[in-house]
Amino acid sequence: VKPLGIEQRIPGDWHDGVIPANVLLEDGAFIESSQMFQHYRSRLPKGLHLAQGAGCYEGTMFDLGPEAEVRVGRYSMLNGAWLGVDGSIVIGDYVLISWNVIIQDSLRFAMDPAARRMQLEESSRSRQRDVVPIAPVQPVTIGDKVWIGFDVCILPGVTIGEAAVVGAKSVVTADLPPYCIAAGNPARVIRSYK
Amino acid sequence: VKLEAKAALTAGTQADFDTLSDMTGPEQSLPELVLPADIPGNVIVGTGTVLTGRPFRRFRSVEPDSVSIGAHCTLDHSTLAVGERGRLSIGDHCYFTSAVVLCEEEVRIGNYVVFGWNTTLSDSDFHPLDPAQRVQDAIALSPIPGGVARPPISAKPVVIEDDVWLGAAVVVLKGVTIGAGSWIEPGSVVTSNVPPRSRVAGNPGRVLGTL
Repeated sequence: VKPLGIEQRIPGDWHDGVIPANVLLEDGAFIESSQMFQHYRSRLPKGLHLAQGAGCYEGTMFDLGPEAEVRVGRYSMLNGAWLGVDGSIVIGDYVLISWNVIIQDSLRFAMDPAARRMQLEESSRSRQRDVVPIAPVQPVTIGDKVWIGFDVCILPGVTIGEAAVVGAKSVVTADLPPYCIAAGNPARVIRSYK
Repeated sequence: VKLEAKAALTAGTQADFDTLSDMTGPEQSLPELVLPADIPGNVIVGTGTVLTGRPFRRFRSVEPDSVSIGAHCTLDHSTLAVGERGRLSIGDHCYFTSAVVLCEEEVRIGNYVVFGWNTTLSDSDFHPLDPAQRVQDAIALSPIPGGVARPPISAKPVVIEDDVWLGAAVVVLKGVTIGAGSWIEPGSVVTSNVPPRSRVAGNPGRVLGTL
């Protein structure tokens, strides 16, 4: 399977936009609206790969920088997550991700206020208002069968193990092991299960 | 009819953008720009500032010159829910993405302030604590017109000083002052004052250290 090759419109789409040409859609992968590509800037040959049966619903946002790529595994569901990516985010198979979830591989802004001012001034001079990231990029990996509750933040560099469950409104700042139930801000493992 | 309105908006976008900012750069501009005609009369917007989405859909302010947004700001799909007597000021070079600012009394935001995705700031409790008063508030807010006045609601000014960075999904509650240069980690809930140049995380937000 190859990327689309040309921009594609979604029949009946309420949003006036397209699915970019470097998106790869396997059989049965679903994108509800082109709005989720409003902040999509990936120039890689395969910026977004949706595997067989992966579903992306209203409110999801693929905020991908020029060098970013995302893979969403088979039968995984993004039900309104915001992905801020400058490097790579890999989401496994059968992953369920709820609404208002934030997954970032970079915080994009410098922690030093003087450097941040320069980023903001540079952004305000461009029409698209993109911020050129200078924060480190740390890939995020979400294992197969993971379940993520609503309003969860997953921070740069985090790996979530297979079948882990993350409670609503948690902030995941460090790796989570497979088959755990985690919650809180910062998220802590409450127990393991299998 | 809806389609026509959309087409008109698209057609007007580039020219209106040029009146909002005289910058040069790539020809493409942000989608869904707010037209100058859609900005309420009591809102002052500086040069080079760009607003997208529907920032004034919950705007009820009636005081003259009660809201000011500085120059060279980007307010992308953010909401400025200013109450009838609310006073909101935003400095220069601020960058908001899908943020919500609820202002019943006073919110002051400095220069070079970043609000990450889905951040929320409020200077009030939204509703009274007393259940009887809350019943009155529910009736006053209902779609049934009855002329019932809303009960008084506790509000305290919120101040975000220069160079503050709020990560994604941060919440800032009433009465809080965040000192200049502070860095608020994603997902934090800030319930009390933050000294300048602090790094904050958690719920409730705690100072982890000084930058």
